[in-house]
Amino acid sequence: MLEPLFGVLALFPSADALLKAIPQVKERGFTRLEAYTPYPVHGIDEALDLPKSKLGILVFILASLGAICAFLFEWWTSTVSYPLLTAGKAYNGWQAWVPVMLEGTILVGTFTAALGMLFVFNRLPFFGNPMLRSKAVDEITRDKFALVIRPGDGGLDTSAAIAALRAAGGQAIEVVPAPHYRRAGLAWWAKVTAGIGAACLVAGYGTAWAIRTFPTTKPMVEMENQPRLDAQAPDTFFASGRGMQLPPVGTVPRAFMPVLATNPDQGGKALVDPLPVTARVLERGRQQFDIHCAVCHDKLGTGKPWLDSTYEAQPTDLQSSTIRDASDGYLYWVISKGFASMPAYAADISPNDRWAIIRYVRALERSQDAPARDVK
Amino acid sequence: MSVASRVRSALPPRFAEPAGGRPRVAQPHVRPPLWTVHRTLWALVALGGAGIVAAWFLAGAQRFWVNWLMWLVFMVCLALGALFLVALQHMTGARWSVPLRRTAERIAALTPWLVPVAAIALFSLPVVFSWTQPDAASITPLVLKEHWLNRPFFIIRLAVCLGLWVLSYVVLVRGSVRQDVTKDPSLTVRLRRFSPVFMILLALTITDFAFDWVSALEASWYSDIFGVYLFAGAVTTAIAATLLAVMHLQRRGRLPGVTGDHVYNLGGLLFGFTIFWAYIAFSQYLLQWYADLPAEVFWYVQRTSGPMGLVFVLLGVGHFFVPFLALMSRADKKSPTRLKWVAIWVIFMEFVDVFWLISPIQGGGIRLGWPEVSFAAFFVAAGLLVIRRALSLGEDMPTGDPFLAAGLDFHLR
Ligand code: HEC
Repeated sequence: MLEPLFGVLALFPSADALLKAIPQVKERGFTRLEAYTPYPVHGIDEALDLPKSKLGILVFILASLGAICAFLFEWWTSTVSYPLLTAGKAYNGWQAWVPVMLEGTILVGTFTAALGMLFVFNRLPFFGNPMLRSKAVDEITRDKFALVIRPGDGGLDTSAAIAALRAAGGQAIEVVPAPHYRRAGLAWWAKVTAGIGAACLVAGYGTAWAIRTFPTTKPMVEMENQPRLDAQAPDTFFASGRGMQLPPVGTVPRAFMPVLATNPDQGGKALVDPLPVTARVLERGRQQFDIHCAVCHDKLGTGKPWLDSTYEAQPTDLQSSTIRDASDGYLYWVISKGFASMPAYAADISPNDRWAIIRYVRALERSQDAPARDVK
Repeated sequence: MSVASRVRSALPPRFAEPAGGRPRVAQPHVRPPLWTVHRTLWALVALGGAGIVAAWFLAGAQRFWVNWLMWLVFMVCLALGALFLVALQHMTGARWSVPLRRTAERIAALTPWLVPVAAIALFSLPVVFSWTQPDAASITPLVLKEHWLNRPFFIIRLAVCLGLWVLSYVVLVRGSVRQDVTKDPSLTVRLRRFSPVFMILLALTITDFAFDWVSALEASWYSDIFGVYLFAGAVTTAIAATLLAVMHLQRRGRLPGVTGDHVYNLGGLLFGFTIFWAYIAFSQYLLQWYADLPAEVFWYVQRTSGPMGLVFVLLGVGHFFVPFLALMSRADKKSPTRLKWVAIWVIFMEFVDVFWLISPIQGGGIRLGWPEVSFAAFFVAAGLLVIRRALSLGEDMPTGDPFLAAGLDFHLR
């Protein structure tokens, strides 16, 4: 049911006057009071017996959620979905996420505060607050403080209310008529939708037109335009016309000694594993094997590729007796030079890592065919 | 129209007449007589002093001087933070804080005592500063800093800093105390003009002090923001100390007219500067962590790994999250008990901060034992004695300040 009357309003010149008036009006038996002030007045909540606003706790919860979401987002993108090593930092470098978490907290916090205040607590989509139709509304938003007596369950004795407000020092007393609630009809929604749509169209086409018409300037290109040679880019400085230079003839990169043997058999005899027998070597081998070899040879070396059927080659079963009996040097040769349809890995895996992989392959073989004494 | 009369004409009538000053409010004696506390403090000073002497002979010179420096830095933070609060009030023309200003001024009474403590600390130069060590000449970054880090210039800088601090103390605090008697409102105007100058001097001197006495302990380390870091901690501590002292006086009825609203505002400042400290501390850490330059990051490695890592975590949680969450809501800042405990905690945390900054230069684990306890007993008790004596400096509120009435009238609306 609609109220016939919104309330009786009186203006007060200062916040103090308003705070003094409230108990006086209450004394006369009016309990449903509302105050309208140009700025937040401390102590008014207590004077009006308003419950503590829930906005604060809402903001706290949602802002914390903002921080947590930012954290999860950063964690998921940079360590789970695509593990990123930035500047030699370890995975889970939470330090780098803190600024994003801070932004997330503030963003969600401020949005909650503003939108929650407007939409949740002030019921914003309803524009028809009757106070907007009062004569006093201009002054309330400027420098006056209003107190409104709202009708209780049994309606409101207007003249008694006026008398009470006048006795408490209220000025410019007026009776504010009841609000005229109206549900937004289909036409209203159509207008709003059409308006938003039109605005989007204008903005989108306008931007597209502007980009084509005016030369675009790139902001902050200093990082991009440095006096440096880009990878793979041509360059006129060197006679070769390349930006990247080839190593001088007769040199080898550090830790990449070429395989000096000339054929697999000779290699099998001449190439000897130089690494010590330590757990770290095995661990390194496991890691490198899983990175480089497991796609084709499977984690156990059984030769069942993880690739789909378009990969037609048949990787060798590294558990087979041929490979078991082959020398370490031979395997080294295969990794370095490739074998039939298996590509060469000399450019990708350092010699020490190749040996570590072989160690690990041997361990894999042993693991699948362990003699009884190993199990004890 | 002279400045004085201009200010006087702005006064509310009941404070306009300086005749005889305001009657001092009788102090109700609700607590046990003062001398018990007083005696305990002296006993602590004596015990702590004995411990300090013992530390000199038994714990080694390095540990002795590291402790001495920690307390020097802590005292500087407290004294300068208090001076900053005083100057801030003059500079902004804040009225609400006028009744509390004398309390901050009294805490600033630690300033003159910095002179002997710092003078003695000069003897630590050959012991704990990396740039005075014999191998300094072979370390490139130290050689490059030689024009700054050499003994004559170092001592001159300290003398200049101390001189400026004591001078500012005399101008700001002694001037204000004199105003109690003279009731000369023009002083308020003069201090308002002096305060911006002091702010600039403070920015320069506290940066210099932080570089010279804290980061130069590891002279190859550098962080431009370090002065701000120390400053942020200093102001936080000073606000907490002022808060405690104000509530102490309030309980004894010595600050009539100072209400929960004043204290609430101090709580708000404490909350704000807690965030400021965290912002600065994390900025410094993040940049060095990201750049990962050996010349910078070793300093953090020392302070975040091993047992010191626990102190690092404690600092993050205790210096930021605890006061941040404890003071967040409006009701929190209105509760005197909560404010009191948060203030005590913040002051303790500032010491943990100083400990974390300085103690690791000794290397190897957390050095916390009887020497540290003795130093703490001595300096805390002595500092409290100085502040307690200062609590009788001038009136309890700056009665000569023309804005005192406006300040007492302050309500949160
Ligand atoms: C792209 C898939 C692929 C990858 C990756 C791969 N291999 Fe192979 N590998 C093969 C195929 C295919 C064969 C069998 C070639 C043939 O018989 O035609 C093979 C054969 C072998 C053989 C047997 C050679 C012989 O004498 O029969 C060994 C040993 C071997 N691979 C070791 C490795 C090691 C170690 C790695 C990791 C560094 C590795 N492979 C990575 C595809 C791969």
